[in-house]
Amino acid sequence: MSKGHLSNDEFFVRLSSLFDERRQKDHGSVYLTQKRLSYDKDTDVESSEQQFPDLHPTAPLPILIRATNGKSKDNKAKKVKLSTVVESDAIEGFFAKYAEVCKGGMSGLKKRDRSKAKEKLKAKKRKQAAGGDEVKK
Amino acid sequence: MPYLETAQQWLTQSTLLLQARPSTTRITTKYTIKPIPDPSNPDRSKPRKTKPSTTSSEPASVPTQAPEPIRAVLILKTYDPVSGTTLKYSTTKAAEVSRLIQILGRLARPMAGLPEVKEDVVMLDGGEGEGAHTPLVESAKPAQNVAGGGGKKKKGKGKK
Repeated sequence: MSKGHLSNDEFFVRLSSLFDERRQKDHGSVYLTQKRLSYDKDTDVESSEQQFPDLHPTAPLPILIRATNGKSKDNKAKKVKLSTVVESDAIEGFFAKYAEVCKGGMSGLKKRDRSKAKEKLKAKKRKQAAGGDEVKK
Repeated sequence: MPYLETAQQWLTQSTLLLQARPSTTRITTKYTIKPIPDPSNPDRSKPRKTKPSTTSSEPASVPTQAPEPIRAVLILKTYDPVSGTTLKYSTTKAAEVSRLIQILGRLARPMAGLPEVKEDVVMLDGGEGEGAHTPLVESAKPAQNVAGGGGKKKKGKGKK
């Protein structure tokens, strides 16, 4: 599991189950990290004339995405670590799917829009009841 | 460790940080559910930020407080270990998730060494081809465009 990177698709499957695992308990966390994958890219440093070669890489670099449940120390045995590499030309597609998985997984957050809509609906109904001239929908 | 007030500010500052230090800066997204305050275990139930002075004096007062209905928090953190720069943004709203992931996707571009361009079609053409020349296009201009566009979006949502 922690050996090597997963394919993007498998990463999403595992990430969903990581979110589901968290949901089974009343508390817990999911950590997602992204950074440039610059492993064994040191050839640029010596050959380049620029002062900061990493600012202008000769070719776009892939992005490393990691996900964990943040278990460490005493709970280290329960730690789940996932990682995947996103090539620079696949970023758009990856993040579109990533957004969906996260939206589904982060269900504990406050759903602001619905409650507001309900309140508005209630207020409307009250108005209608009081006024009486408007037709019910 | 400053918390920025809006996601837009966080995006703008993070973009600048990534442009300056693209190879060391990382972005961590933490989705966490705080534990329900447990009367039998007051030490654990306490939020981390409470002052240490209250720990010994009156632990009994903590369980009496009603648990907050929303315990889930989403925290975005941009961190560059070399300069020590940290930028954070925190939210509890589900409505922001997809937009925040979009922002993460946008920030992935300077991270990968791609220029920030809004037109996806143009970028796909460049990326699929050689891609060697594209990183040089990077400049401060797109950052300003991004800031303007996002700001309007935020207003459009009209949160009170």
